[in-house]
Amino acid sequence: MSAYLNTRVSLLSAHLWTDRALEELAGASDEGMADMLSRHGLAQLTPNPEDRPGQSPAPHSLEQRIVTQLLDETRLLIRPLSSEARAFLTYWTARFEMTNVKTLIRSKMADERPAAILSRLTPMGAFGRLDHQELALAEDVAELFRRLEAGPYAGIVRHARRAFEQSQDPFHLDAALDRGYYDGLTQRARPLEKTAGDAFRALMAHLIDRINLVWLLRYRFNYRLPPAQVYYLLVNSRYSLTGPRLQELAALDSLEAVLLALPPPWKERLSDSADIAAIFATMEQFAAQEARRQLRNHAPEIARAFAYLILRERDLRSIRSVLRGHHLGLDVADIRLALRRNASELH
Amino acid sequence: MLRAEPLLRVDLMVLASEMQDAALALARYGEFNPVSCSQEALTDTPAAAYRDAWLEADSRLSKLLEQCGDTGPLEVPMEAEAPTLDDLQELNRWLKDIWTACLACHESSSQTAEAHARLDALADTLATLEPLNVDIQRLFHPNSLLAIQIGSLPAAAVRRVTEALSMTGHVISRFGQAGDQVFVVIAGPRARHDEASGMLVQAGWHELPIPEELRTDPQQARAWLLNERTRLNEQAKDQCRYLDALRERHGARLHEARVRLALARPLAEAATQGISGKGGLAALSGWIPQHQLSALRAMLNDRFHGRYWLAQREPTAIEAAEAPSLVRYPAWLKPFVPLVRSYGVPRYGEFDPTLPFVLIYLLLFGAMFGDVGHGAAILLLSMAGRRRLGTLAWIGMAAGAVSMLFGLLYGSIFGYEDIIAPLWLSPLHDPVRMLSLAVGFGAAFLGFTMLINVYNQWTAGRTGEALFESSGVAGLMFYLGAILTLASLSGQATASLPGALMLIAGMATMAAYKLLTSEAGLGERLLVTLIETVETATSLFSNTLSFMRVAAFSLNHVALALAVFTLANGLDAAGQGITLVLGNIIIIVLEGAIVAIQALRLMYYEGFSRFYHGDGREFRPLRVSTGRP
Repeated sequence: MSAYLNTRVSLLSAHLWTDRALEELAGASDEGMADMLSRHGLAQLTPNPEDRPGQSPAPHSLEQRIVTQLLDETRLLIRPLSSEARAFLTYWTARFEMTNVKTLIRSKMADERPAAILSRLTPMGAFGRLDHQELALAEDVAELFRRLEAGPYAGIVRHARRAFEQSQDPFHLDAALDRGYYDGLTQRARPLEKTAGDAFRALMAHLIDRINLVWLLRYRFNYRLPPAQVYYLLVNSRYSLTGPRLQELAALDSLEAVLLALPPPWKERLSDSADIAAIFATMEQFAAQEARRQLRNHAPEIARAFAYLILRERDLRSIRSVLRGHHLGLDVADIRLALRRNASELH
Repeated sequence: MLRAEPLLRVDLMVLASEMQDAALALARYGEFNPVSCSQEALTDTPAAAYRDAWLEADSRLSKLLEQCGDTGPLEVPMEAEAPTLDDLQELNRWLKDIWTACLACHESSSQTAEAHARLDALADTLATLEPLNVDIQRLFHPNSLLAIQIGSLPAAAVRRVTEALSMTGHVISRFGQAGDQVFVVIAGPRARHDEASGMLVQAGWHELPIPEELRTDPQQARAWLLNERTRLNEQAKDQCRYLDALRERHGARLHEARVRLALARPLAEAATQGISGKGGLAALSGWIPQHQLSALRAMLNDRFHGRYWLAQREPTAIEAAEAPSLVRYPAWLKPFVPLVRSYGVPRYGEFDPTLPFVLIYLLLFGAMFGDVGHGAAILLLSMAGRRRLGTLAWIGMAAGAVSMLFGLLYGSIFGYEDIIAPLWLSPLHDPVRMLSLAVGFGAAFLGFTMLINVYNQWTAGRTGEALFESSGVAGLMFYLGAILTLASLSGQATASLPGALMLIAGMATMAAYKLLTSEAGLGERLLVTLIETVETATSLFSNTLSFMRVAAFSLNHVALALAVFTLANGLDAAGQGITLVLGNIIIIVLEGAIVAIQALRLMYYEGFSRFYHGDGREFRPLRVSTGRP
């Protein structure tokens, strides 16, 4: 099974995009775009005539089609995996379900009709664990929370609900959901770090360190939250940015001071970054390099599969920028500029 | 019985104002399976608002009925009409009002429960502080340099909160737990209190307000706690009274709402599939059995007196792939249908394997569990428990009868091999022949499944798959070639050359077809072709050998009985009797269950996986609901 999965990952990796291919896509005609997408196994993302400006939108949004593509590829990869690795990658897809949870809660707060809510939820296919219809038909936010707390994400949602009840601030809700999700991810990664070793741990370290540092900077310097609250909102980490290190960083007063206090190698890598978007982009760039290295090397199968999914998702985010720009009729130069900036989008 | 009934695709156009009546009439007709309308000119969705209102109303009613317990069978009058959209929306609004009131009661109940938990925590705090002789009033004094808070946190958050609080010079001490809530005291410099409070909110902190009474005399504090508990209990009683009165106050109207929603359900269900329209017209599309067309026309004429337009046609090749599958079974076969449906539903036009499944399943069960006595016990127990077991009893009775038949053929009764003479062969005395027969049966069974697959693919228009795939003619040729070659090598046949030619031709055809039809780069195609060709050969080999278990279990049955006899023979008369009875019960229950599962496994994995896609759609006609909405 290991040889099969490794071969499968290697073959799928041929569909990954280089920066140059993405730039070409941005400048391609409709036919050229369709051809390029098809060659990279993304024929279903080809813009439909009805996607053109002024026309009625396609039945499934581009975001939903991208998520469907990622879920399909994940399903292909998890089949031969061990139970722990399978549980990890299955939970990795739950990010999209957490987005659905946020959509449901916000829509209920806005008292939207169930039909409108349902149309905005991302279909999760075989990975879906929530009954969208039942949740959309909840009478109000309180009933929705009660139903969510009887479901598979009870722990995460209960915590978020309590934070929200005390503050009535949607920020607290989103922050608690995000933190709860990533805490769950690091817990599921722990046994795999023992079996799959440094290769898998390196991928997780890049992911969690990036999330923690970017959240820390954003909460501390954009939202002006006090250090203790910032620290509480970060993900439990055992990687380069450990708990005590994050406590020290959260207590500092400026972005520059935080960058200077970072441990190596992040201190050197981020010394030229001027803002949070640039920091995210740089860290994501290094994470992508690490993922490519794992793909090239003889890393354990779960590390290679995870590396592929990280890179594939990054590609799809870039393609979404290109297709959106194309749909809006933007200049190719602007789309290419957006491609360079799109890395600033946060998880 | 071996194939789904031929269906017609129908498009029924009615006045939009009558679409709920049309859907209800189709539900009463009982043979109309709705699907989305394919007419591109009809761009409106006239039933969408009706469907949304029904979904909301139905959800609210279901939740209300859980409170009222009105979930029994429903009588829907034959002449009753479906509610209009306005009626439905009005009903929905009323249900919303009632359910909102119920929700308020529930919310209040959970708040009362939380308040009780807080009072318990306060009592604990009081009990902890009392012997320490601490001046509580001073402890909580607002001008004190030390800020003290008492409250609860989710247990999972305590560690993180402790770490975060250490950043603000605060300390935390836990003193109790209720469910997943931990009660704690937090103390720290008042000057840094604000830094901690935002974090505590994020952590789901619930402060326990310390009333003045608790800060003074302990006696007064206890009295205050008692009064609070009494007040909360009274409050809870009021809430219960409202819920208890719900059925009394609204029971009749809720029952009427059940009836009206049952009448509205057909249009809502059809609209879920997609009803299109334009102007004042609405189109309901669906499938009906071909022979029911005239009955449908008669019903529509009777109900709408010509105010409708009906078009029908046979399914196109594309539509056939989406068409539902309607198979009617004779009563004796119906108990076995769930065993087949648990694997999947046959596609429209696909061979329905229920009949051969029943025959082969029973044959395998009997061959593995052949015993007159044990079979009779299963037969009698199934007959005795048929009220409780329902249709499952019929499967047990059939399995018992076949087991008895094979018991006669094997000459086995309650494990004794020397009471009756075998009519055919005794597995214990001729195990090699039994094994050969099992493998031979397996080979014939696999060949049969491949032929069915060829039929399925051919009738679905997939000629290439029928001829060249691993479960098609090429696969069959490869399989027969392999059998002939192996039989010739072992000296049981003299056809090694034709066998080898068939084997090579079959394998080459399968590989070439896979290589040509795979949609991927050359490298991936070569890899897939190589892996799948090798996998075909190994799986056919292992699937055939898998049937050795039939012989193995027939031997196992005798061996288990021998083990029981050996144990019994070492005991006195009473012990012998008890051992024999218990041993036979164990054989019937344990081995019977294992054999039933093994036979099912052989049918599913060695049989169905070759020809039966099982991804068809069940024919689900609109019906008037008579159960819980």
